[in-house]
Amino acid sequence: MVLQDLGRRINAAVNDLTRSSNLDEKAFDAMLKEIGNALISSDVNVKLVATLRASIKRIVNFNDQSPGVNKKRLIQKAVFDELVKLVDPHAEPFKPKKGKSNVIMFVGLQGSGKTTTCTKLARWYQARGFKACLVCADTFRAGAFDQLKQNATKAKIPYYGSHTQTDPVVVAREGVEKFKKERFEIIIVDTSGRHRQEKDLFDEMVQIQQAVTPDQTIMVLDASIGQAAEAQSRAFKETADFGAIVITKTDGAAQGGGAISAVAATHTPIIFIGTGEHMLDLERFAPQPFVSKLLGMGDVAGLVEH
Amino acid sequence: IGGLFRNVVGGKTLTKEDLEKPLKGMEDHLLKKNVAREAAVRLCDSVERDLIGLKTNSFTTIESTLRTAMERALTKILTPTSSLDLLREISTVTSTNRPYVLSIVGVNGVGKSTNLSKIAFFLLQNHHRVLIAAADTFRSGAVEQLRVHVRNLKELSKREGGEVDIFEKGYGKDAANIAADAVTFAKENKYDVVLIDTAGRRHNDARLMSSLEKFAKLAKPDKILMVGEALVGSDAVAQARNFNNSFGAGRGLDGFVISKCDTVGDMVGTLVSMVHATGIPVVFLGVGQHYADLRGLNVGSVCRLLMS
Ligand SMILES: Nc1nc2c(ncn2[C@@H]2O[C@H](COP(=O)(O)OP(=O)(O)OP(=O)(O)O)[C@@H](O)[C@H]2O)c(=O)[nH]1
Ligand SMILES: Nc1nc2c(ncn2[C@@H]2O[C@H](COP(=O)(O)OP(=O)(O)OP(=O)(O)O)[C@@H](O)[C@H]2O)c(=O)[nH]1
Ligand SMILES: [Mg+2]
Ligand SMILES: [Mg+2]
Repeated sequence: MVLQDLGRRINAAVNDLTRSSNLDEKAFDAMLKEIGNALISSDVNVKLVATLRASIKRIVNFNDQSPGVNKKRLIQKAVFDELVKLVDPHAEPFKPKKGKSNVIMFVGLQGSGKTTTCTKLARWYQARGFKACLVCADTFRAGAFDQLKQNATKAKIPYYGSHTQTDPVVVAREGVEKFKKERFEIIIVDTSGRHRQEKDLFDEMVQIQQAVTPDQTIMVLDASIGQAAEAQSRAFKETADFGAIVITKTDGAAQGGGAISAVAATHTPIIFIGTGEHMLDLERFAPQPFVSKLLGMGDVAGLVEH
Repeated sequence: IGGLFRNVVGGKTLTKEDLEKPLKGMEDHLLKKNVAREAAVRLCDSVERDLIGLKTNSFTTIESTLRTAMERALTKILTPTSSLDLLREISTVTSTNRPYVLSIVGVNGVGKSTNLSKIAFFLLQNHHRVLIAAADTFRSGAVEQLRVHVRNLKELSKREGGEVDIFEKGYGKDAANIAADAVTFAKENKYDVVLIDTAGRRHNDARLMSSLEKFAKLAKPDKILMVGEALVGSDAVAQARNFNNSFGAGRGLDGFVISKCDTVGDMVGTLVSMVHATGIPVVFLGVGQHYADLRGLNVGSVCRLLMS
């Protein structure tokens, strides 16, 4: 599960420190170091970890505390707040409205889980009373349309795509126009995997986006991504200005710190996490409950006024 | 002058204290290259052991001594200890009148089916008769994906030589049985090589991982390659270990294909993490989405990327 080990290690580090009889600066630095190592082992961006350590250090300001201050609470709160900051960009994601056409476009690296998540999301909205459908604008990957078609059929969701048209911009435009006419409320557009090193692929993404003018663009990130997450997600942000992130494969053993670093790098909220290969394996994501759970509800949650 | 020469410690015997800071810098450097922390720490420890007590050459800084030692350590772990000549292995096996069986495993979405198709293309260029077995009977579109690849490869093989077909039994069937049937079919029909695609699976899913043991027993692959993707971070270590341990006693992985190397620039640490975890060599690198985007490992250039 995402960040589970991280939570355990951070908790242990904070508890060890706050429980120890001599809460001195050396022990505090050791705690910071352990938190840093735990974050890095979870794939949080190396530079981000350095920043986070520095801010905890600054906030706690170990040497400059009057005797009355409850150091334990101060340290716990600082750690909690910094972790929340890591996953909570304070940006409101788009909320689809019933009775109008909401176009949602998926983008992301190759194999991150876009096509699978498209169907999950369509089904999620369908179950909440939206009229939802899928458009396959991946004309590159072998079998991409069959994959979407089979998933959509299983979930009983209308879909659009082509086995012969090779231009994804054309398919995307036609599909979205058709479904808009038919008054679908959630129109989800799946696109090919791409990466920042190939300019043509990024240009294509822009053209699809211009053709379908999505109300929301979602970037899908694999929970196992490592240090490349920052550069890739930044590049997608600059080019496609996505407004939300979905992290997939959180049922794996990866800690998800790379994908979470993308939140900090792009100031974009995570809205869902994928928890398996099946249609229903999708969960809503909210940052504060997530971090509270991560660090054990107990006394930490009580510290935060939200 | 002081600034220029401060670090020059030619002829100095290195101590643990001298190395502490530069080693921490080296560890951070490797982490930024996407080497898993476990692997980075082990590499730094081994370099530290090599260097303590060593006398530096004149006009050589600790940093450059360390750098050279790290390059050496990386070269050592990445250089395969046995030959990786796939074509020769194939001809050894086919000369005994049976097909060479190669299967591909790995977690979800890493590039198994695509890189299997690239390997097929490479074999076609060498005029082999290849059978591709669609043993991913789970993921939507997996069979059609291979059908498209085989159709494209047939078209290409008109020019390149060789022959390629697909062996498929649709969805829902047991993968190990399909793989075994494909091997039998290939033997009867004089194919040189069977390439078996498998479904992606999480390495922490005990049920899916345990089915690999039956798979290895029934299909008896000559070679099992795991695809690991260059984008993956620390999870690479456990991925490699768990797949390597999933085929039952006496059977492990034979090599890695590191895919999507074109998406990470110089952050090629994943391959270090996977080799560190298992001692198993990297056989191929995937460097793009087209059939020709497959390379052998060039240890020198990987080391240069890692040290840049
Ligand atoms: N375990 C697990 N597997 C997932 C999850 N989401 C997707 N997958 C698997 O990941 C693999 C890749 O998923 P796709 O949906 O094909 O990925 P994609 O981003 O559309 O891939 P491209 O179109 O090739 O870029 C498939 O095997 C999916 O079954 C998840 O949440 N958990
Ligand atoms: N850039 C790049 N993309 C790659 C490479 N290898 C594979 N891909 C892409 O990664 C995506 C997933 O590839 P697949 O071959 O379907 O992956 P898989 O491991 O078979 O996926 P599942 O069967 O769903 O587990 C596709 O979009 C491929 O084009 C590579 O070396 N570089
Ligand atoms: Mg897709
Ligand atoms: Mg596949």
